[in-house]
Amino acid sequence: MSVPESVDPRRLRITNEAGTEGTLIGFRCRECGVSVFGPATFCQACTSFELEAADLGRVGTLFSYTIVRIPPAGWPGAVPYVLGQVELPDGPQVLAEVIDCEHSALAIGMPVELAIEAVGAPAASGGGSGGADKLVYKWRPAGA
Amino acid sequence: MARLRPGREVVVVGVGLHPFGRFPGKDLSELALEAVVESLKDAGVRWRDIPIAYFGHVYYQGMSLGETTLSKLGLTGVPIVNVENACSSGSTAFWQAYWGITTGMYDMALAFGAEKVPRGPVTVTPDDAPERYIGGDHMMAGYALRARRYMEETGAPVTALAQISVKARQNAALNPYAHRKDTYSLEEVLQSRLVADPLTLYQCCPTSEGAAAAVLCARDALRGYGIDASRAVSVAAAVLTSGEYNGRGADHSAFSPYRTEPAALQAYEMSGLGPEDVDLCQVHDAATIGELQQIESLHLTPFGEAWQATVEGRTALTGDIPVNTDGGLLAMGHPFGASGIRMIHETVTQLRQEAGPRQVARARVGVAQCSGAGDVTTVHILKK
Ligand SMILES: [Zn+2]
Repeated sequence: MSVPESVDPRRLRITNEAGTEGTLIGFRCRECGVSVFGPATFCQACTSFELEAADLGRVGTLFSYTIVRIPPAGWPGAVPYVLGQVELPDGPQVLAEVIDCEHSALAIGMPVELAIEAVGAPAASGGGSGGADKLVYKWRPAGA
Repeated sequence: MARLRPGREVVVVGVGLHPFGRFPGKDLSELALEAVVESLKDAGVRWRDIPIAYFGHVYYQGMSLGETTLSKLGLTGVPIVNVENACSSGSTAFWQAYWGITTGMYDMALAFGAEKVPRGPVTVTPDDAPERYIGGDHMMAGYALRARRYMEETGAPVTALAQISVKARQNAALNPYAHRKDTYSLEEVLQSRLVADPLTLYQCCPTSEGAAAAVLCARDALRGYGIDASRAVSVAAAVLTSGEYNGRGADHSAFSPYRTEPAALQAYEMSGLGPEDVDLCQVHDAATIGELQQIESLHLTPFGEAWQATVEGRTALTGDIPVNTDGGLLAMGHPFGASGIRMIHETVTQLRQEAGPRQVARARVGVAQCSGAGDVTTVHILKK
């Protein structure tokens, strides 16, 4: 059985054959030092094009969270789901689902780590993604 | 920040509104035309007098909708521009009309917007975007993240957020154009269905249908068109911005809760007015938390304190900074293309002292602030 692809290879690089490990990636500006999550052509802060590929790691802290009870159309996951806004050590923030955490244990400031899960294709209302599973980055409490 | 160079004074001379709500028997053009015709009548001009028109709308319902709509008023050959700028599409159309006149290209312009928003949670990315797998593209979840963080940082209780919905409905009950006219209690707001904690259904604006229009004119051209100058309302500032780097980067527009501040500062500079001069404002309250952070971004209260002003009743019609006097997005509903011009309509109505039972006591300077995905922000300051 083949391993699904990264949901966005410009944001998540899979680092093992089983597709269970990976790292968030982006760019760092050589002029001002700011890091950007995901694709960039120019620096978001100073507009320099002197960017270098950067490994943004697999840990962060929870900046905010919400328990989504009414999901967007075509949402492929369980309901409710926890959406976490996570700050990376290099500064950028990353929105993703928080898993393996009781709702009552969620707390702003808690350390989280990357979790990678295969997700089925969303039931898009039009167009669509071709129906393939993708490896999606999520967050879980650190050390869980 | 770009230095803005307005030229001659521009005034709003006519406004029109189609009620907001659900109108299954009418298409988008029919909604829009009713608002346009009302604005032309209000201004006392004819369609053939209008040299340019800008039409704000978002959802695709055929190409060149502005041309299709206005052709029913007569084919006059004037330029008609279709404007898409997310929830700020209408206010962006107004902004373009202002700058077209103040710089001298045109003496008069029509700005109008209309929308029939589909039901259900609003998303901004294409159907095949990674966000659809990740779950991060959900407008109200974005507001919920802001709300949770705001409550953590300021100590605001969830009842302060709910109070904004209560106020919105009280104002809308006095407004025949509103989508939702029935009032409700704090408990009813808090006990309505959870959308994304801590936001309940009644803390989120309904998706709606509706239309709004405004006619703008150079003050020095009023006499030539025979327009009544006594009802004209001056546009003291017209500012449009997109996202500015905020130190955090972003993969979603929800990350910039105070993105309105740069636009507000430009608007104050352009108008020579300050927060202390503002008598009332209409702000982008797609969810309750939005109203708080917009008020703070406009410097109408210190940061982190708008929730207290709300609890104390200062943002009610009878308070010292009345906010969303017509019910706002929360009670008017939110037809994207129309909302920004709906705010202009309410501001003009208040400054003309024509708001009837919801008229605020002192109304000389009004602010209309509208946000949209892409960190779009418009701030307009109107003055009588
Ligand atoms: Zn840089």
